[in-house]
This record gives sequence, C-alpha cells and structure tokens, in this order.
Amino acid sequence: MFKLWLALATVGCMAATVAIAWFFCRELMPLSRAIDKVGGVLGVVASWLVLLACVVSAGNATIRYLFSYSSNAWLELQWYMFAGIVLLGSAYTLKVNEHVRVDLFYGMVSDRARHWIDLLGGAVFLLPMCIVMVWFTWPWFVQSWTLNEASNNAGGLIRWPVILLLPVGFVLILLQGISEMIKRAAALRGFHQHEYAYEKPLQ
Amino acid sequence: MIDAIRSNLGPMMFGGLILFLLIGYPAAFSLAAVGLFFSFIAIEMGVITPSYMGNLTFQLYGIISNDLLLSIPFFTFMGAILERCGLAEDLLDSIGQLFGSVRGGLSYAVIFVGAILGAITGTVAASVIAMGVISLPVMMRYGYNMRHATGVIAASGTITQLIPPSLVLVVLADVMGKSVGDMYAGAIGPSIVQVVLFCIWVMILSIIKPGDVPALPPEARTLKGWALVRKCIRGIVPSAALIFLVLGTIFMGLATPTEAGAMGAVGAIGLAAMYRTLSWKLTYQAMSSTMRITAMVTMILIGSRVFSLVFQGVGGGLWIEHMLTGLPGGQVGFLTFTMIFIFFIAFFLDFFEIAFIIIPMLAPAAAKLDINLIWFALLICANIQTSFMHPPFGFALFYLRGIAPPTAKSRDIYLGSIPWIVLQLILVALMIAFPQMVTYWLEKPVTLDPAALEKQLGTMPSYGTIELQGLTPPKP
Repeated sequence: MFKLWLALATVGCMAATVAIAWFFCRELMPLSRAIDKVGGVLGVVASWLVLLACVVSAGNATIRYLFSYSSNAWLELQWYMFAGIVLLGSAYTLKVNEHVRVDLFYGMVSDRARHWIDLLGGAVFLLPMCIVMVWFTWPWFVQSWTLNEASNNAGGLIRWPVILLLPVGFVLILLQGISEMIKRAAALRGFHQHEYAYEKPLQ
Repeated sequence: MIDAIRSNLGPMMFGGLILFLLIGYPAAFSLAAVGLFFSFIAIEMGVITPSYMGNLTFQLYGIISNDLLLSIPFFTFMGAILERCGLAEDLLDSIGQLFGSVRGGLSYAVIFVGAILGAITGTVAASVIAMGVISLPVMMRYGYNMRHATGVIAASGTITQLIPPSLVLVVLADVMGKSVGDMYAGAIGPSIVQVVLFCIWVMILSIIKPGDVPALPPEARTLKGWALVRKCIRGIVPSAALIFLVLGTIFMGLATPTEAGAMGAVGAIGLAAMYRTLSWKLTYQAMSSTMRITAMVTMILIGSRVFSLVFQGVGGGLWIEHMLTGLPGGQVGFLTFTMIFIFFIAFFLDFFEIAFIIIPMLAPAAAKLDINLIWFALLICANIQTSFMHPPFGFALFYLRGIAPPTAKSRDIYLGSIPWIVLQLILVALMIAFPQMVTYWLEKPVTLDPAALEKQLGTMPSYGTIELQGLTPPKP
C-alpha cells in the first residue's frame, strides 16, 4: 500500500512541476535566466578544459619519451579534466539543445509539439533521473571526503574532487532542465521566443 | 500474471526503450530514465536486489576515469582545428593539378585527399566541406557529370570513418572491450581495399562514360614543373608529419591512442599557426564545439550504462543473446542479419546511439559464435559509413548541400551517392568473405583459445572495462 502511495506521489510531483512551470512561467523567467547564466559560465570553463587537457596529455607523452619520467598526478589530471568537460559542460549542451535525439517523430511535428515534448520530458525523464543520480552519487562523495580517499597509484591525486563533480554535474543538469521547462512553457504561452532549434549534432 | 511480468521484464524493457526513444526527448536522459523506472519495478518484484543498483556508482566512475574516452575530445578538437586551417585546400589544389591530365584525375585527387585527411583526423565534416568548396566548382567548370562529382566528394569525405585514427573506431573499441591499437591495425586492410574500390569505379567510369570524367585541359593546369612540386610538398609534408605524430606513435608504441590524439591536436594547432590561420576565435570555436560533442556523447554513454545495468539484471541480455544465437546459419546467418539490421537502423539512429545502445546487445552473441570482435566491429564501421550518404541523416550529403552552388540540385546529390553506397556494401561483403583483410594486420592471429573466450564472455556483459581501483560503493 505504501508503495502505491509512493508511485502516486511521484506522478503527482511530476504533474505539479509541469503545472508550476505552466502557470508561473512568467514569474519564473528571471530564475531561468540566472540558471542559464550559471550554465553559460561553466560551459566556458568546460571549453577551456578541452585545451588544457590536450596540452597536459601531449606534455605527459612528450616528457615520458624525452626524459623517461612519468607522474601519476599529471596522468590522473587528464581524466579529472575529462570529467570536468562532461559534467560541467552537459548543462550548457542541454541549453543549446545539442543532446542528440531520435528525431523520427520529433522531426515531423510542429514547434508547439516539440515544446510540449521538452516540457513533459523534462518532468518525466530528466528531473527524476537527475534526482536519483544525485541520490546515488552524493553519499559516495561524502564517504570519499570523510575518508580523505586518495588514488592507489603512487603520487596520485586525492579522489573527492572528481567524485564531487558527479553530483554537482547532475544538479547542474537538473537546474538546467528546470530552466528549459520554464522556457518551453513560456514559449507555449507566448511569453518567450525559443532560440535554439534542434539540429542533429555534427560529426 | 505477476510471474509472466517477472520473467518478461527484459522484452518489456526493450519495448519501453523503443517507445521512449521515439518520443524524441534527448536520448541520454530517456535511456537513463527507462533504466531507472524499470529498476524500481524489478526491485519491487524481487528480480534484482536494491544493492545491485549500487553498481551504478562503479559504472559512472568507470566512464569518467576511462582513459580511452578521453581521446574523444582530443580527436574531435584536432578535427575542428584542421577543418578551419587550410591544409585540405592546399592538398586538393596540388594533387588535383598533379592528376589533372588523366581522365577522372580530379576524382582520383578527391579520393586520395579524402584518404590523407582521413589518416590525419576523423571528422567527415572537415573533408566534405573542404573538398566541396574547392573541387566541386572545378569539376563543374570542366564538365564533370554533376552526380558523379557530388557522389565522389561525399563518399571520399566519409572514408575517414574507417581509416585510423577514427573516432568511430575508438568508440567501437571501448564498446567491444578491445584495444584501440588492434582496432586501428585491423582497419588498415579494409581502408586500402576501400580506396582501391573507389579508384576502380572511377576507372570503369572513365572507360564506359568518358564524357562524365574528362581530363583537365592544359590551360587549367596552371602549375608546372618545380612550382607544382613545391606546392605538392607544401601540402604533403605537414600531412605526413601529422600522420606520423598520431598513427606512427600509436603503432610504434610510443604513445597511447589518447596521448596520440592530444599530440595530434597540438600538432594541428601548430599547423594552423604555420598556415597563418590560427586565431583565438578559431581556437575557442573549436574548443566549444568539442566540449559540446564530448558532453553529448558521454551523457549517452552514461544513460546507456544505466539502462544496460538494469537490462542485464532482469535478464534482457540473455534474452537477446538467445534470439541472436538461435538464428539459422550460424556465423554467416548472424552476420548477414546484423549487417542488414544495422544498415536499416542507421536510417533512424545516429552512430553514437547505435554504438552505445545496439552494439552492446549484439556483441555477446557475436563472441559466443566465435566471431572475432575486431572484425565484427570493422564490419559495423564500414556498414555505418553508408548512413552518411543516404537520407535522412546523410551528413555528408547535408554538408555538401550547404556549400554546393545552386546549380547542383539536391536530387543530383542524393542520386549521385547511390553507386558509392553500393561500393561500400561491396566492401562489407568482401570483408565478410575475406576476414584475412582484417586479421592479417593484427599482430597475433586470434586463435580460439577456450580460456580466452571464457574470459571474454565473462567481461562482455559489463560493457567494456571498468577500473575499480579499490573503491568501495556506498551502502544504498
């Protein structure tokens, strides 16, 4: 019985989120703009990490070849940066609508239907998924933090910063998802012109 | 009733996946959501234990700490820089002049430049756009058949998919749990056969329809003698240096594929500086588009790991495996079925979706049928290449459409790609008929060692390698 209530409550929460986005989208637009701004700044950070990671990785290979010297800290820094690119950049990628979709159906429908898909999809897919992911990854970060866990490799880096990136990344996607829902609802009600049309990502 | 649901959670999940993906919400998030939704049902029905979901943290950690995936941003970044730096233009100009006097000379030039660009980087956009901008007007001016001209450009742009160092091969290596070095070594044979096939087709055309592929008249060949030689050297030497920097270091064992990608990216920046096209604007654009592609790809991977963790837990993997290994005709039956299936599914899904969603379901069955996974991956790669040349995704056609002059009609571009798609399918058939094409280049021929096979089977359902590095999961 308890489980049934839980299921009903979940569906109720999803419906409530859509309803809030729908009725208060005009009032919530400043919030959406603030979230977009945060996402934009972190997007710039993630872009720079691409260049930094490149330089670090090429440097590692060159130094190992020339001086036969290799440092685990620098090797680990490479993938710390990769985690940064992905988890800090995902929210921005969502904002500019570049997460790939299966557009068999999506490609055929009107702009209004697309806004509806994004509004409802945000409540049904994105928000619950992000919440569950944060719920899974946060205790892991806390554990790593309290144990002050370090890499098994000699001279490696401490682990908690990269583990912290996981919950932080999903919180950012969650926030960006809320911002997108507000913008979609506003676009549906005519308060907002949505600027990022979906295009298949280029390869 | 409950029992029926319990034993059919796998098929139901598969159905749910198709349904939710078709809605058109970004695949990464709908995948993860389907996975989590079914995990609650499965836990509720006692099919999996709640602690099983604790593996999720390992999976996430395995993704972000995966050294191989790190090469995705590097190779993308390298491609994004090269796309804008002017190397392709120089190459096309000089090689076009070199082959100009033969019938079909411009077509050969496009094919060779496509192959050289493919060996440097792995992005289709860079090659197609460069060749479309430079070669297409020349081909049109000297009376090349429009369909042939657009077809050869689109096809030569896509061969970069199969030629190492290709991003597609990196991703496939990760999904199949094989080393990228082996994947690249195995791709050498098919790449050569592909270039030869394309050239043979141009040669056939120049014999049966000489009017379609005329030689350049002498007045079009402005460069002669030393000037031409110098121009060729200017195009080819930096390319050769970059190819060595990336492929040479991998094959000689000096650098991991990831580091080779990083060196290639740094090399590309150096090259752009040499061509005097390097600017902050170019670099930032390249960084930003690389970041978005990396985030997009990795998020799909995260979503698909969540999905497949639960899918394996409810026995969906076994269900698919039984279906596939039960196909009549054993190995050949399985390969024929999967190749036709992937050819058609590529009309609907893009490469990364196929790689992370479909292939993990096929790979265990392939391993069980004693199919060399590197060979299988390369077959898939050659097959998927066609999807760049047919609607609706046909990226190559799409880029070409974007830069072609208005006299090139969409109809010509689409119809022109057909012979090249057929050539590509011939390549797939040849690869199935002669697996030696792949295995010859692998260092040790893959013998059917039962122990190794067992090990492979044991690792497959985990979808690639996950480095745990002494982490303990939190108690959920």
